[in-house]
Amino acid sequence: MEVKETYNGTIREVTLGVGDKAVVVGGETALSFYTFEGVMPRKPVIAFDVYDEEPADWPAPVVEPYKDVLGDPVKWALKCQNEYGADMICLQLVSTNPTGTNRGAEEAAQTVKAVADAIDIPMIVYGTANVEKDTEVLAKAAEAAQGKNVLMGPIEEDNYKTIAAAALGFQQAGATHSPIDVNMAKQLNILATQLGLNADRIIIDPTTGALGYGLEYVYSVMERLRLAALTQNDSMTQMPIINTIGKEVWKAKEVKVSTEEEPAWGDAETRGIIWEAMTAIALLMAGSDILVMRHPKAVELTRDFMALMA
Amino acid sequence: MALTGIDIFKLLPKTNCQECGVPTCLAFAMKLAAGQAELSSCPHLSDDAKAALGEASAPPIRLVTMGSGDDAFKAGGELVMFRHDKTFFNPCGYALLIDDTSGASEIDGKLKQVNESHFVRVEQDLKADMVAVKCSSGKPETFVEIIEKVKAATSLPLILMSDNPEVIHAGMAVNGEAPLIYGANKDNYEKMADLAKTHKTALAVISDNGIDGLNDLVPKIEALGVKDLVLDPGYRNPKETLQSLVYMRRGALVKKIKAFGYPTIAFPVEETSDEMMETLLAGLYTCKYGSIIVVGNLKPQYALPLYVLRQNIYTDPQRPMQVKQGIYPIGTPNENSPVLVTTNFSLTYFIVTGEVEGSRVPAWMLIQDVEGLSVMTAWAAGKFVPEKIAPFIKGSGIEEKVKHRKLVIPGYLSQMSGELDDELEGWKVEVGPREAADLPAFLKAWSA
Amino acid sequence: MSKIIASAAIRGAHKIAKRAEESLNNAIQQKGEAQEVGFPDTAYFMPIALALLGVKVKTLGDFVPVLEKAKSMLPPEPAEHVWLPYLGNTLDAGIATILFEEIIEAVKYITGPNPVDGIWLGATDDVILRMQGIKLVDGSMPGFAACVGAMPTNAEAVKLANELRERNILVFMFGETNGKSMAEQLAEEGVQMGWDSYLVPYGKDITAASYALGFAARSAMTFGGIAPGGLKEAHDILLYNKNRVFAFVLALGEVDDEKYATAAGAINYGFPVIADTDIPQILPTGICSYEHVVSNVTHDKMVETAIEVRGVKIKITKINVPVPYGPAFEGERIRKEQMFVEFGGQKSTAFEYLRMRDLDDVENGKIELIGPDIDKMPEGSAQPLGIVIDVAGRKMQQDFEPVLERQVHHMINGAEGAWHMGQRDMNWLRISKSAKDKGFNVKHFGEILLAKLIDDFPAIVDKVQVTLYTDEKAMADLMEEARQAFIHRDERVAGLTDESVDTFYSCTLCQSFAPNHVCIISPQRLGLCGAYNWLDAKAAFEINPAGANQPITKGDTIDERLGQWTGVNEVVVQKSNQSVQNISAYSIMIDPETSCGCFECIVAILPVANGVMIVNREHSGMTPTGMKFSTLAGSVGGGAQTPGFLGVGRQYITSEKFISAEGGFKRIVWMPKELKDSLESQLKKRGESIGIPDFFDKIADETVGTTEDEVLAFMQKVGHPALEMESILEFSV
Ligand code: SF4
Ligand code: SF4
Repeated sequence: MEVKETYNGTIREVTLGVGDKAVVVGGETALSFYTFEGVMPRKPVIAFDVYDEEPADWPAPVVEPYKDVLGDPVKWALKCQNEYGADMICLQLVSTNPTGTNRGAEEAAQTVKAVADAIDIPMIVYGTANVEKDTEVLAKAAEAAQGKNVLMGPIEEDNYKTIAAAALGFQQAGATHSPIDVNMAKQLNILATQLGLNADRIIIDPTTGALGYGLEYVYSVMERLRLAALTQNDSMTQMPIINTIGKEVWKAKEVKVSTEEEPAWGDAETRGIIWEAMTAIALLMAGSDILVMRHPKAVELTRDFMALMA
Repeated sequence: MALTGIDIFKLLPKTNCQECGVPTCLAFAMKLAAGQAELSSCPHLSDDAKAALGEASAPPIRLVTMGSGDDAFKAGGELVMFRHDKTFFNPCGYALLIDDTSGASEIDGKLKQVNESHFVRVEQDLKADMVAVKCSSGKPETFVEIIEKVKAATSLPLILMSDNPEVIHAGMAVNGEAPLIYGANKDNYEKMADLAKTHKTALAVISDNGIDGLNDLVPKIEALGVKDLVLDPGYRNPKETLQSLVYMRRGALVKKIKAFGYPTIAFPVEETSDEMMETLLAGLYTCKYGSIIVVGNLKPQYALPLYVLRQNIYTDPQRPMQVKQGIYPIGTPNENSPVLVTTNFSLTYFIVTGEVEGSRVPAWMLIQDVEGLSVMTAWAAGKFVPEKIAPFIKGSGIEEKVKHRKLVIPGYLSQMSGELDDELEGWKVEVGPREAADLPAFLKAWSA
Repeated sequence: MSKIIASAAIRGAHKIAKRAEESLNNAIQQKGEAQEVGFPDTAYFMPIALALLGVKVKTLGDFVPVLEKAKSMLPPEPAEHVWLPYLGNTLDAGIATILFEEIIEAVKYITGPNPVDGIWLGATDDVILRMQGIKLVDGSMPGFAACVGAMPTNAEAVKLANELRERNILVFMFGETNGKSMAEQLAEEGVQMGWDSYLVPYGKDITAASYALGFAARSAMTFGGIAPGGLKEAHDILLYNKNRVFAFVLALGEVDDEKYATAAGAINYGFPVIADTDIPQILPTGICSYEHVVSNVTHDKMVETAIEVRGVKIKITKINVPVPYGPAFEGERIRKEQMFVEFGGQKSTAFEYLRMRDLDDVENGKIELIGPDIDKMPEGSAQPLGIVIDVAGRKMQQDFEPVLERQVHHMINGAEGAWHMGQRDMNWLRISKSAKDKGFNVKHFGEILLAKLIDDFPAIVDKVQVTLYTDEKAMADLMEEARQAFIHRDERVAGLTDESVDTFYSCTLCQSFAPNHVCIISPQRLGLCGAYNWLDAKAAFEINPAGANQPITKGDTIDERLGQWTGVNEVVVQKSNQSVQNISAYSIMIDPETSCGCFECIVAILPVANGVMIVNREHSGMTPTGMKFSTLAGSVGGGAQTPGFLGVGRQYITSEKFISAEGGFKRIVWMPKELKDSLESQLKKRGESIGIPDFFDKIADETVGTTEDEVLAFMQKVGHPALEMESILEFSV
């Protein structure tokens, strides 16, 4: 009875960070957690969201664990590293958003440097997906994080040249971000590699949708990317995948509404935790290699889940 | 390969008599090919055609119905390994486990969960599908007593769980519906098969060594004449359960192994004692090929995310979820609040209203029915164009709700602003931002 | 290679070799071989030695083998009359020269004079290199100009610097002419210099050229990901510069031997030399992308020549119009009351015409208005307007003219207060009163077209020149030329057959929602959405080679009648993710093309009528298949092969290849009236060409009936040819 699938492709391995705490992601030779028909050499990693300014719209359950460090990205990152055992930090440069605080690139770069110097785990640096502003901000950030081998993103079709060049110049890795579309993801990877960024310095950010908010789209796009990578050996889809889950989940109505406002939905904190962890496991099954998350308990659950599956 | 519509058409009478309820034989053939019609609807089929079509249209995974009426639950009938290949057709069901040795208050609590974990989202009912009653007491009377209690509280179909045919026999006596017997193993299968046949119920087949055991046992039970089976590979750890579920689905669809052509059942409740983890494992089997998923808790904070996951995974990728056309007040808008229009694609709706809510600027959202397409696709398909938007706005009743006459359209549709201006008399069209994320800033700066 | 240049360069190389040897020996004497050398804050040691020889120079002693190696590359000084010019010799001399120059500059850091002095910046550190390199890679800084020597006057120096800076070109300055360097000229005029102002004074000595070339070498190592090592890597580094770093040398003033030698070094990088003096030219291309040395260029033409020779692309970041510009204004209407002036739209003569010209015939950026401007036009009037756009580009093709010309519509509509409709000589434009008040005039149409064409189509457009005519007499000839061109284009499109080309194109744009769908676009069958014909796809591929349109080599013919080719099938298998094996370009019954869902029309067989019907998306009524468009779309779409059904673009209906396997056009038995009317002239023409002039009248529509029986009765009445054809249902090869 032959029910095993054979695969002929492998996901590339990408190293992020430096020293003992550097992480490697990727390397799968079968669909994620299909260890019965291929190798999954390592578990996906979890990065903690750290904002470079006090977040304005986080609901109570995710403010609570960080309430002593919000507004101080260095302390915040250290707390994630030391208390919650984060594999990585995802520093989100939200303060640079032109429709918000609109901080300049220099100032953002200082934060990047301060956080990078303070922690010893690898770092992800994310802009606000504002095509023009990110161009400036991430170029400076790349400089500020020199020698740290960070992952920078999002690299979009409209600014890939500058950001990929910055990644190249300062030897950082890049997260190519496309709008939930297999071919556009591929195309952006082709463009970035043509510019000179090595394929093993690229992580795919397929655009994450939270549970109930487009999860099914990213889920299917990731499955399609993985199948192309593994069964068709399509080189431009063989990059590991990152999902920025926390940011999407914690703005969903179902996690924002408090227990009092909607008693029929049950305890708000548990609901939020499950919402985040559920999004995480669905995307893990679809092929995620780096999960960016927020609530420590959701992270813990996701880790327990991976332990059960390994 | 499945037959194409034309292949089927060639076997039909070609009289266009319309007795099947569609205007032509060709149209009927296309429906059959898409699995949207029953062969039996055409009364004029020749025997040869019936044989040829019956064989070809037999589904690779049997569709098994449990219960009846509004609460009937259908499992199986799947055609693809990945939802992007077509769609997952029949949403998996969640069954809450009730043990007959539990105390009365615990049982009451669970029954309350079954009835209270009921939500409406995007016009779909999200709810539990079955209740599993497990006989741990070993006593038929206790079992019967609990079944009666459950039946008094809910009309959902039941799963009766015991490996003792006598216990099941007792249970069936009080259960009029056609539920699921759980189940047949290699020692009791003959008796269980008898019970299933007598009571016309579905029967779960329980392996003690994964898919190999099923491959052994299923043909034996089929031979006894039971048609509606549900398969349990028997493991109680997620790693091996996942492996079995994947192999069974692939076995049935790709490798055409008949023994695996049935819906499956999984037991997160027996794989962990942690409520949170149990919910996540239920999520895992929702994604990966579970048909009936048995859990020990359905408190709303767990049930809601689980049900929404199912809703997501079982959405037809080519027929997106839709919300109803109409005016949606966000916050408490007044006569000077901004008016925004967009399509009824559920994702568009959720993302746009989410950002509007986040902006804390009260606003009126006008959601137009465009058959669930996104803004750009609807525009390209001619469904979200000035000639269609203008009458919708005029007829929506928004003119009674606001004093101003300014309409914000999605940024990607800037090219039609002028035309809409012309069509929509008395209104001034404003082009909103292209990305929903920029809405808060836009709304904060907006004035009537 | 010119003998004079070769001789001079080799002579210069020898002179610089001598200087290098003396200064190195002298330094070693003073400080010893163990003395550390290095440029500040860099991980690239001596970048030229590292890049070209793979040597990591850390001490003075490490320089000794570098010097020897460079000396060994020196060709002998040519004797005046017997020596034959040889490019390789000169290039070797150039390489040797820049290695020597690097030694000289490095030694200065130890024994003085300090290269960092006053205005002079000396070596570039790694952080600056990277920040500047990013701009080179992303194209925001198109390239750099190495200015050697000085301009005749300070004012001209400032002008040159500004011309370069305006184009975001980085200006490196070194060397002198008659004791003056360009950087000193700028300093005397009070011009602020530094990396932020794009003006980089490296050093007065010609040897400071090594900083610029070291910069280029390092940027290849950093951004090209090339680890230095042996010869191959050296070659790769030079090649990277040739292909990716758009730099050139401006030789100002008299060119002495040392300058020739240094220029020879730059040519190795593929950087051409533009000189203002009358030195011998080297025009045939080889090492450089284009010409090596262009001489006797007047000062005011220098920048433009350099840009052209080197193929530097300048991005236009801001469109020079007095009104806001952006996609938000695209849909804006200008009503009669708001309009100041209009052109065309049957009210006056107007046309727009984009034509390809030779590079030499287009003056990039030139916008000319022939006739009165807006201020001479009466309010509310209709005026004549001819828009002639001349485009040149090394990759431009005549076939792209219509593709680019069609962009005029959306380009002009992007400006607030400007409005455009139609095309060719049936266009219609308006300028609003408020735009006029803000200063918008006719010439601004040119500004927009110029900027957008260069910016949006850098792959095919190098130069653009726009001429606007508001004088009806002046434009008469061009209008005639344009009309001839339009006829010619139509004939070209009509004459394009599937047999006449060996490349088709695939389109996978719709895979975002139909994961396995691929359109095969051939000259006689356009994409089913109707938006992409073969020329569009071809141009789209040139513009974006990594995009959704990819060329397909047809390969061997498998079945001519069905339209199956090996190459097409291979691509279909691959791009459909193995879900579709064979595709017939011309058949609806056997291996028909898949449909994504965007089709303009659906073709479906009517078995009883023995033909096909065609329904367009806009038609919401019942069709003779017993299915409405929406039902049909549901069963046809999604990227699956559905024999008997086909999604098509309207223009395919009258193509000779329209389901030609099954007998083609003659099979059409029913269409909605609206579709039939909109295609009336084409349908009639096609009917004539197949010898059934009244075929148009034999096609039933909903006024005849919406059931197959009614259609059949009609067909029998009119004698429809499909009745005589072989059974469509049983069609086989
Ligand atoms: S009932 Fe049968 S014969 Fe009649 S139209 Fe339907 S398919 Fe054709
Ligand atoms: S329908 Fe049009 S856009 Fe879609 S794949 Fe075909 S040609 Fe491309």
